[in-house]
Amino acid sequence: MTQEPHPHSDKHEFRAEALSLWRITFAPATWALHFVLCYALVSLSCIHGTPPVAITRSALILATLAALAVIALLGWRSYRHWAPGRTGRLTHPYGTPEHRHHFLGHAAFLLAIISAIGVVFVALPLLVIGGCQ
Amino acid sequence: MTDRGNLPRGRAAFWLVVSLALAACDGDQSALDPAGEDASVLALLFWVMVAGAVVLFLMMNGLFFYFTRVKVRSQSRAVARWLIVGGGIVLPVTVLGALLTWGLTILPDHRQAGDGLRIRVTGEQWWWRVEYWPEGSDTPIVSANELRFPAGRRTELILSSAHVIHSFWIPALGGKMDMFPGRETRLSLRPTEPGRYRGQCAEFCGTSHAWMAIEAQVMPPEAFAAWLGTEARSANLPATAAAQAGMALFNREGCGACHAIRGTPHVGRVGPDLTHVGGRATLAAGRLPMSIEALQAWIVQPDRLKPGALMPAYPHLTRAETLQLATYLRGLE
Amino acid sequence: MTEHENRSPLPFPPSEQALAEPVPEDLRAAQVARLRSAWARPKGWRYWSSVNSSQVGKWYCLTALFFMLCAGVMALIIRLQLAVPENDLISADRFNQLFTMHGSAMMFLFAVPMFEAISLFLLPALLGARDMSFPRLSAFGYWCFLIGGVFVLSSILFDVAPRAGWFMYPPLATQDEGPGSDIWLLGLSFIEIASLAAAVELIVGVLKCRAPGMRVNLMPLYAWYVLVVGGMILFAFPPLIAGDLLFELERSLDWPFFDPTRGGDPMLWQHLFWIFGHPEVYIVFLPSIAITAMVIPTVARRPIVGYSWIVLSAVGVGFLSFGLWVHHMFTTGLPSLSLGFFSAASEAVVIPTGIQLFAFLATLMVGRVTMSLPLLWITGALAVFTLGGLTGVMLAIAPFDFQVHDTYFIVAHLHYTLFGGMIFPVIAGVYYFFPFFRKRMLSPRLGRWAFWLIFSGFNLCFLPMHLTGLLGMPRRVYTYSSGLGWEALNLTSTVGAFVIAAGFAVFVWDLLRPRRNQPDAPRNPWNAGTLEWAHDIPVEDWGVRSIPYVTSRYPLWQQPKLLQRMDQGRYYLPDSDEGARETLVTSVIDAKPVLIQRLTGPSWIPLVAAIFTGGCFIFPTFGLYWPAILCGLLAGGAILIWLWTATARPPRQAEKDAGLGLSLPTYASGPDSVGWWAIWITMLGDATAFSSILFGFFFYWTAQAQFPPPGAAHADGVAVAVAALALIASWALVVLARRTNRLQRVGRARAALITSTLCAGTGALALALAVWPLDPTAHVYPAIVCTIALWIGVHTVLGMVMQLYCLAGSLTGKLTPHHDADLGNVTLFWNFLALSSLAACAVIGIAPRLL
Repeated sequence: MTQEPHPHSDKHEFRAEALSLWRITFAPATWALHFVLCYALVSLSCIHGTPPVAITRSALILATLAALAVIALLGWRSYRHWAPGRTGRLTHPYGTPEHRHHFLGHAAFLLAIISAIGVVFVALPLLVIGGCQ
Repeated sequence: MTDRGNLPRGRAAFWLVVSLALAACDGDQSALDPAGEDASVLALLFWVMVAGAVVLFLMMNGLFFYFTRVKVRSQSRAVARWLIVGGGIVLPVTVLGALLTWGLTILPDHRQAGDGLRIRVTGEQWWWRVEYWPEGSDTPIVSANELRFPAGRRTELILSSAHVIHSFWIPALGGKMDMFPGRETRLSLRPTEPGRYRGQCAEFCGTSHAWMAIEAQVMPPEAFAAWLGTEARSANLPATAAAQAGMALFNREGCGACHAIRGTPHVGRVGPDLTHVGGRATLAAGRLPMSIEALQAWIVQPDRLKPGALMPAYPHLTRAETLQLATYLRGLE
Repeated sequence: MTEHENRSPLPFPPSEQALAEPVPEDLRAAQVARLRSAWARPKGWRYWSSVNSSQVGKWYCLTALFFMLCAGVMALIIRLQLAVPENDLISADRFNQLFTMHGSAMMFLFAVPMFEAISLFLLPALLGARDMSFPRLSAFGYWCFLIGGVFVLSSILFDVAPRAGWFMYPPLATQDEGPGSDIWLLGLSFIEIASLAAAVELIVGVLKCRAPGMRVNLMPLYAWYVLVVGGMILFAFPPLIAGDLLFELERSLDWPFFDPTRGGDPMLWQHLFWIFGHPEVYIVFLPSIAITAMVIPTVARRPIVGYSWIVLSAVGVGFLSFGLWVHHMFTTGLPSLSLGFFSAASEAVVIPTGIQLFAFLATLMVGRVTMSLPLLWITGALAVFTLGGLTGVMLAIAPFDFQVHDTYFIVAHLHYTLFGGMIFPVIAGVYYFFPFFRKRMLSPRLGRWAFWLIFSGFNLCFLPMHLTGLLGMPRRVYTYSSGLGWEALNLTSTVGAFVIAAGFAVFVWDLLRPRRNQPDAPRNPWNAGTLEWAHDIPVEDWGVRSIPYVTSRYPLWQQPKLLQRMDQGRYYLPDSDEGARETLVTSVIDAKPVLIQRLTGPSWIPLVAAIFTGGCFIFPTFGLYWPAILCGLLAGGAILIWLWTATARPPRQAEKDAGLGLSLPTYASGPDSVGWWAIWITMLGDATAFSSILFGFFFYWTAQAQFPPPGAAHADGVAVAVAALALIASWALVVLARRTNRLQRVGRARAALITSTLCAGTGALALALAVWPLDPTAHVYPAIVCTIALWIGVHTVLGMVMQLYCLAGSLTGKLTPHHDADLGNVTLFWNFLALSSLAACAVIGIAPRLL
């Protein structure tokens, strides 16, 4: 997915790009999953008492690390997709397949950054607040 | 264009009003005039955030004004890009991260364990049922529409509601907590300054939501203990002839079907407990200052003072009768 | 994406040579005449049968404006009542109706519909399309909005308006006597459905109706925002619709979802309401930012800086805004850890929001700014919005919210965000787009008057409220005692409110005053770069004369010959050879032309369908169930006639010339057709609503020590299993019918369709029998089980109607092996239905025995 799209192969190109339009949502979707997991497990622990909140907390800290790893991977892939170092291009204002290709990489990369910040923020309560009180 | 002048004039008038209001701001329902540990922390939090907000507001709008009115010529693209990264990511992540961490550390404090006394408050439409549970006791001391706290002690409040959702809030003492039917919520407060403070229901609860206030009195611990001892006792017997006649009227009109007065046969639980009603500072959940006239006005037509109130009106009572009834109730200190 | 992409190389993109070839003068004149007659606006009273987005968009905008003014008048009465302590201008009950309706009307009848109205009006022009793909759906949505809005709003005149607050918290709202709560629930559900219809229209418009060559990196930013906001509507409104369903079942059938004495929980409503309610705020805010993103480059006279950054913030806000809902519930006693997550997410959403503002600053910085009225309003918007945003940052810190929650501080905060994030930018947009809307200019002098009146009045009204709240004044009180330090502040606010009203009077006068004698506006008065300024003056109803080939973000700036070529009809679809309305459908990513889409013309059927749909929602408010059922059937019938006569008819010619040597198919099924996308998007929303009901089931389970209650009767296991099998069989047969039909085995396909209908009927019957012995009024457990069964049952009946519709199509020649769009769409519906049936059967059949 990192090389330039093949200029004449429509089918190949479409599949790759349809995927990349979805791909810009993968990182925020990871954030959303992490968020829902935190909310659901803590609700269970605090209201039903099982699993104990200490265990939930550790599990969620691990889940946070996993989510950050996934987002980092997605970010890295979209960075290569964007390839600012190779093309020297920070903006993509033209109607060419290359520009569209790099634009989607750029947007996905920025969303990965925001999602990572979001995951770290959401994980802060796990570190700061001890229990259900 | 003369309309440019509107804004400065408007602002000037506004600041005048604000300074007047601030001067009169020792209102007893103010979150900015804290009288307890919890409210003080929150007031400090507020002032710190306001200071930060003012700086950020001026920065953002100053830049906008500068680029649209002062320096309208085209400027460096590289700087513009760094403006997005710096202003859009670096600045907020730092500021918000720090603020959030502070906020999270104080978040659980409003439910920390208390020093022994627990007060159970139940929201009704539109008044408050109050029960004091001193440490170790297994029967509550029942009261209504007024709370007393020992200063310097952390008191736990156990909150619930009879029918609809209410919210318990005494701004000078701390934050609020909703009250649900069929569910208990908890809050703990540590008032520090003796004095009278006003609270009010904060969750919309129907027609007379506006008239659901509560009076909180913070007392030195010894005074509080003495008062609680008095409050636990049964009602005073009527001392004067008028009061005795009032007591008879209370029996005749069937007030006891809804109201309880300990030490008498009246044990109704629909309305507020009246055992020590005359000792409270206000009547009908903060609606009126306690007085014989207020009691009379209330008995004749509660609905006029509190639209939708469930208590029936007693328009058939003569003025003399309401005076007797009011005298009796006022004497229940 | 299959056939056409494999065909011999398309003459696309068009060569410069082809574009330069002149169109003969007489041909041009003939084309213009044909186009004009195809798109002609119906005359006289038939005008109201118009369906094209420029007419419907105009009605929509004006209706939303009217509802806003009504809600504004309510606000003025509220402010008058609060001007002095212990005021008795209006009664407590009247006051409660007024503030409930003020909030509900501003949110449901103004803010969201206004976005849809403006988008409907602008989007085709921004994208270079003739019209949106489902004009009759837009018209249907508009009529629903009008009927529902008038119904809900007029209740206040009869003193029966809802009075439990726009958030309708149970048990207050469930126990409320009189029709108020039902008017709110049914009237607004009706409007929410119209909103969903508009969202479908707009999303499909952005994805499939862009001008050829307008790749995703060239889309006007407004279109990106429409895409994000449309997606948000799909995920935000359904939870509320599900909540409304539960609420109405409690009110009319006494199923105890929110009644704590029978296992219900008022907190479930709060969750469902705010899962809708918070994204709603961003649904209102983002489109206004989108307008700003159109105005800023124009006033800065250069392309936007940080296009990708703005796309990132739109998408980022779209996601993050779904993780904030509990910040409306900070004081409900949830565990601190849970509050912490929502506090954190509420702070995180500030980052993408801020990025947009800094991108605008950066654009202004590198541009050469010309001051204009739209920019003045944007400046005001920024000042007001940053203040609202900063108080939002404060409120997101949960402990601070414990103090000011439900006080006038919140009233101040939310009005700062909504005025700064919606009213001011929208008015900026009105000044900016008015020459496009009305082909005339608004008065700069009156515009400045309106601005300074509204701006100063606004701050006079709402800035003191921050302090009023901190001094302890709760919201939603109809009056207050003196001596608490609130008197001067409240009086100031009231004065401010009337200054705002004066400003609006100036603005609305300027907007609506007759301008027959005024000269036409210049075609591109602000010298903007985007396609909507290629509009025709004087007005033409065809959208664009010819659909351009776009290669840049600001075509009017960056493609110098574009405007002239559009006007001369050198681009696509310059003609209407069959006298029908048509537009070009393009591919999702790169906007390659794939199809010539026949658009529906003027018709009364959307109005008829909307009236009956309205009856179906309005009659139950007064307990009239039989007329409601009758209306429901008539509405269904009207919709079937509409679909049958106007959609997916096999075309006369399979391919036709789209101009520039490009020959395109005129019929598509599956993902190439816009209908398939519409079903896909609708079903996504539908699935969200169903998930919300399932969420309810698990919510009760987490919130209660024993759920299901010990000894409770369960749904019959065998019947549930039979239902699951029958519904899956029905789905498999639909899939089979589509396959065999494609393979020309029409007889087998028909047999499969008939069998599938029978299977579906068996499934629905088995499900009904499974829950028949349960008593849904006894406890919330049987109630939620019955609701899940009811949901699947109703969808199954709908699925059966669709199966029979396809069968009828096959028998009458509407549906052939090649022209199978209907069957493709029905298959898609059944894919979703099969999945939700399995989930439903697992939840009611298996889960209670495991939990």
